[in-house]
Amino acid sequence: MGESDSPVLSQQKATLSMTVPDSNRTSCAITTDYPPGDVAIWIFILAELSVFALLFVVYAFTRHYNLELFDLHQQQLDSRSGLINTLTLITSSYFVVRAVAAIQYGNARLCSRWLWGAIALGLLFLLVKGVEYQHHFSLGIGLSTNLFYTFYISLTFFHFMHVIMGMVILTVVALKAGRGGYCATEHTGVETAASYWHMVDLVWLILFPLVYVMR
Amino acid sequence: MQKGDHELLLTSTITWLLLLALTLVTYAAAQLGVEGKWLILGVLAIALIKGKLIIDRFMGLRWVGSFWRPMLDLYLFTVGGLIATAFLLP
Amino acid sequence: MQYQSQMVAKPYFIAAIGLFVAQILFGLIMGLQYVMGDFLFPEIPFNVARMVHTNLLIVWLLFGFMGASYYLVPEESETELHSPKLALALFWIFLVAGALTIVGYLAVPYATLAKITGNDLLPTMGREFLEQPTITKIGIVIVALGFLFNIAMTVLKGRKTTVNLVLLIGLTGLAVLFLFSFYNPDNLVLDKMFWWWVVHLWVEGVWELILGSILAFVLIKTTGVDREVIEKWLYVIIAMTLITGIIGTGHHYYWIGTPEYWQLLGSVFSAMEPIPFFMMTVFAFNMINRRRREHPNKVAVLWAMGTAVMAFLGAGVWGFIHTLSPVNFYTHGSQITAAHGHMAFYGAYVMIVLTIISYAMPMMRGRAAANSNKSQVMEMWSFWLMTVSMVFITLFLTAAGILQVYLQRMGGDAALSFMVAQEKIALFYWLREGAGVVFLIGLIVYIASFFVGGKERAETA
Ligand code: HEM
Ligand code: HEM
Ligand SMILES: [Fe+2]
Repeated sequence: MGESDSPVLSQQKATLSMTVPDSNRTSCAITTDYPPGDVAIWIFILAELSVFALLFVVYAFTRHYNLELFDLHQQQLDSRSGLINTLTLITSSYFVVRAVAAIQYGNARLCSRWLWGAIALGLLFLLVKGVEYQHHFSLGIGLSTNLFYTFYISLTFFHFMHVIMGMVILTVVALKAGRGGYCATEHTGVETAASYWHMVDLVWLILFPLVYVMR
Repeated sequence: MQKGDHELLLTSTITWLLLLALTLVTYAAAQLGVEGKWLILGVLAIALIKGKLIIDRFMGLRWVGSFWRPMLDLYLFTVGGLIATAFLLP
Repeated sequence: MQYQSQMVAKPYFIAAIGLFVAQILFGLIMGLQYVMGDFLFPEIPFNVARMVHTNLLIVWLLFGFMGASYYLVPEESETELHSPKLALALFWIFLVAGALTIVGYLAVPYATLAKITGNDLLPTMGREFLEQPTITKIGIVIVALGFLFNIAMTVLKGRKTTVNLVLLIGLTGLAVLFLFSFYNPDNLVLDKMFWWWVVHLWVEGVWELILGSILAFVLIKTTGVDREVIEKWLYVIIAMTLITGIIGTGHHYYWIGTPEYWQLLGSVFSAMEPIPFFMMTVFAFNMINRRRREHPNKVAVLWAMGTAVMAFLGAGVWGFIHTLSPVNFYTHGSQITAAHGHMAFYGAYVMIVLTIISYAMPMMRGRAAANSNKSQVMEMWSFWLMTVSMVFITLFLTAAGILQVYLQRMGGDAALSFMVAQEKIALFYWLREGAGVVFLIGLIVYIASFFVGGKERAETA
């Protein structure tokens, strides 16, 4: 069997061992080489983060060459909805942290309750964002309006789709948790979903100041 | 149950409150009319700190030694650096 | 081979290889016409040869995908194919329809073919890759429906696996997207826009799912690595494929009259399309490094590794170099496009079909798990001959493309006209033709490898 020292590959070896329930996983206060959840989701997270990074950086440089346009239209955004949505996502992320903690105690019902709370907040996010979109569209604003809106809509909508995707994953896990599908020693699924949801949050925490605030 | 679990809950709750507070600071700065370089740098710095909190405390990478945490730190650093560059270009 | 009905894959594979040979012959004819304009004129004009070359490519790849499905779906489902008879009937329908179409291309002028086949009633002809007469297209749809039905019934009655699920989604997507070839609006912008829904969303969308699932199947079989691990990878790869590939269609919407925002969306999302191809490379090598057994069919493993590498190079790297809109502004429709098209099609889809053929054929021919050493060594030779010559075709075309762009599009007032520029780069076209001949030799060696060492056995089975 060919061995390799590359970190990606050795991480991948971890995947193999993680398909077997591993009783050491509940003790968190020690340094490990493995991130919480399935390593596959981390590879996915890294890939997704790269797409967002590219969008952010292209946004920043395009703005530099279209300062007036960006400043003007940025001011027309409703930064209060942006604020509400940031608080919502952060809180939702926190709920997910609590859900993971709950299942680590072996409390599956509590875990699923926290998860449903997180999903509800996700819904709130979609609602607020939806109202914002509704407002833009009613003014006839669209992808083609100008370069700023091309970016604003693309970026936020791509993120919007990720919120939906994250909610789907959370729902699957919440249902399984409700059925007692996880326990204190075997709950990789919960951690996997949690990691993805935190990523959605992380991206928004950069997106919000970048698009709504910084000028 | 592990010895550190209560502390864990406490840190995550504090982290959550910290994130909320930092968000409000960002928002207030903009509302109070802070502008230009200071707003940009300050807000960006706050965003990166928040990102770091999420990565370490929420994602739980604080305990993850090799590869993944450095990877995400590098991510924040690169994205933050490039955004700062673009905003500070003359 | 575990199920008798898997045998229906065999005629599909044989037809695929036969059409592959014809495709390459027409490629060589065109390659010569590039430098000797009147070669075979007026018998086979360039535009006809081009149509035959590309359509044969698509058709034999489809034969390959169908054969692959008939082979792997029963094995994954752990049940016999729903109807081997239907599969065989569809094979002959598809083969005859395909052959008639090619004969039509060669025998009569394209306009006449359009008239004979009643293109006026439902005009769908005349667009690259979709040149088939409308009745052929309808035939393709019927074959595809029957095929999907057969596969879906098999999947439904048997064990459900991720490989099967992904394959089925990919095949369904292939069929559904093909329906856009019937939509032929008068508005040229819309026409082009939807044309890419077939062409781009095939090769950079649903076909990648097919590619991923066939690759996963072969790796599961040859490495013995846990299915769960391989399936996880498959999920990540296809999710990334769809996230980047769907909006990535925008890299064809820069200059055709579609809205300007595609400059941004197309550039950003397609720039990320190499990621799933890269993951596929890491995935394949990782699995092979962790293999738990030495499969006797070494050459199938070689093809699998080759696919992973060449798909990344051809699609990922050669796609990336011209995908950003400021670059594509200069390179659009140049020889750089052709370089990319060749290596991507070869590296991803030709090689994955050859991989599954290489894996499955020995068993279907009753040679245990693998061909004899002699035959495998010969097949490895053909692997290297074809792959290396394709690398050279790509490099020569890239060189030609860079010069073409430089001479013809960047010189300002001093820019050369198309034909003058072509003359200056003729050397590279000669070199490409040379590499093409080597490719054909490789293909002949490949076919020959089926006929050697039949009596000897592979060391282990
Ligand atoms: C296996 C996957 C792929 C195959 C088989 C493939 C094949 C092709 C072919 C045949 C064309 C020429 C189409 C025509 O105009 O007739 C083309 C064009 C193009 N491909 Fe791909 N491709 C693949 C993946 C990619 C990827 C991943 C990228 C980007 C990273 C990419 C970027 C492009 C671009 C930008 C063009 C347009 C070139 C132009 O403007 O002339 N391709 N591709
Ligand atoms: C498996 C091998 C091959 C594959 C997958 C393949 C694929 C393709 C594809 C996709 C196109 C359309 C390209 C575009 O629209 O930009 C094409 C065109 C062409 N191919 Fe191939 N081909 C192969 C082998 C060859 C060989 C061996 C030759 C000749 C040496 C050749 C010569 C040509 C020529 C001359 C064109 C027309 C390019 C043009 O329109 O300017 N091909 N081929
Ligand atoms: Fe494309």
